[in-house]
Amino acid sequence: MNASSSPAPPLRNQASRQPNRRTSFWMWTTFSLSAIAAIGLLLIPAFVIRPFTHQSPGPLWLAMALRQRAPLGTLIAGLACLIFVFVLWRTVGRWRKSLLALTLLMVIFSTVMSRLNYFEWMFHPIAGAQFVAQAQSKLDPKEMILAVNLGGEARAYPISQMAYHHVLNDVVAGVPIAVTY
Amino acid sequence: MNGRALHFYLAGINNQNFLMRDKETGTWWQQITGKAIYGPLGGAALDLVLSDELTFGQWRSESPSGQVLAPVVKYVKEYDPNWEPDVAKLPVVVSFPGTELKSRDVVVGLTIDGVARAYPWETFAKQSPVLDRVNGTPLLLVLGPDGKSFRVFIARLDGQDAEFFLQADPQTWSLLDSATASQWNFQGCATSGSAQGKCLARIPALKDYWFDWRNYHPETTIYKH
Repeated sequence: MNASSSPAPPLRNQASRQPNRRTSFWMWTTFSLSAIAAIGLLLIPAFVIRPFTHQSPGPLWLAMALRQRAPLGTLIAGLACLIFVFVLWRTVGRWRKSLLALTLLMVIFSTVMSRLNYFEWMFHPIAGAQFVAQAQSKLDPKEMILAVNLGGEARAYPISQMAYHHVLNDVVAGVPIAVTY
Repeated sequence: MNGRALHFYLAGINNQNFLMRDKETGTWWQQITGKAIYGPLGGAALDLVLSDELTFGQWRSESPSGQVLAPVVKYVKEYDPNWEPDVAKLPVVVSFPGTELKSRDVVVGLTIDGVARAYPWETFAKQSPVLDRVNGTPLLLVLGPDGKSFRVFIARLDGQDAEFFLQADPQTWSLLDSATASQWNFQGCATSGSAQGKCLARIPALKDYWFDWRNYHPETTIYKH
């Protein structure tokens, strides 16, 4: 506690290295926190919003809040990580280099994934929906459909198709609608 | 929303009811309610468009100039012709053990000014046409001639509550109302008798699994008869 009571020569020796060590500790801490932030911004929402599990209101809110901010958040955290990797790279040995590289790889993965919608990899959306006149449709009469009729325009959306695509943006009689199943 | 067209994409799942986001604002929306649950438009709600769940055969007979969504060739292999039994086999993540229905029991759910009621599909299909009253509104629930399509109407004719019966003749499917004995088709329009040309008002109704309906309508009652 009382620095003045310490022997003078060793203190002076350490003092010359201390700023470095302190800077290095500070850089490693910030690097780790940035990496955790970048990876968490992807993993926490992905973990909460996963199929076949129960979603409670609190975690769901957190997941949406994080996912909303993930594109910008991962970019900032990712850039911070990148800078620290550059700075720290020359100061460390081989195993710390691989730790830096591996972490950076995960951060980059997180930054990219936060910009992609993997739900649409599972259920591809319909880009530019095509319609056929009912007489031309090869649908079985027993097949279930969702039907809307707006301003005399009748449209049918086969449920077997909607159960896969889930969402379709359409315009019927000038009204923009979202068809969901 | 506020005169601006939004375009939606699948963005996640909330207790097996999906979440979507719109490309324009990034707001998160719940599928079943159409409500914005998080984001810039949080608290807003989409207008519900009246829709039907019908067999293609029934719809075709009613909509001669109708248009059908074409299958996307690239994804045809992904379409599950057995979607109904397959989905019914999936596990559930919310359940309501205190209630008399099982999670995957199918119900017809409707709300009248915020008052919700669920009609177990089995009961409804057996009893159709079902006459009921929810929040003071007389209702008519009808199973279509194909035994699969369904519609819900306000059972009111010229301001008076009306009763409807299925016509005994199985060859020509129609309903009869007890006041005028007019014939009514599945679209809710009178095709003969003194009421001819009149149509009943429609009520939006959703065919849903019990757990999902109950989850988003905690106060719902269950139709019993």
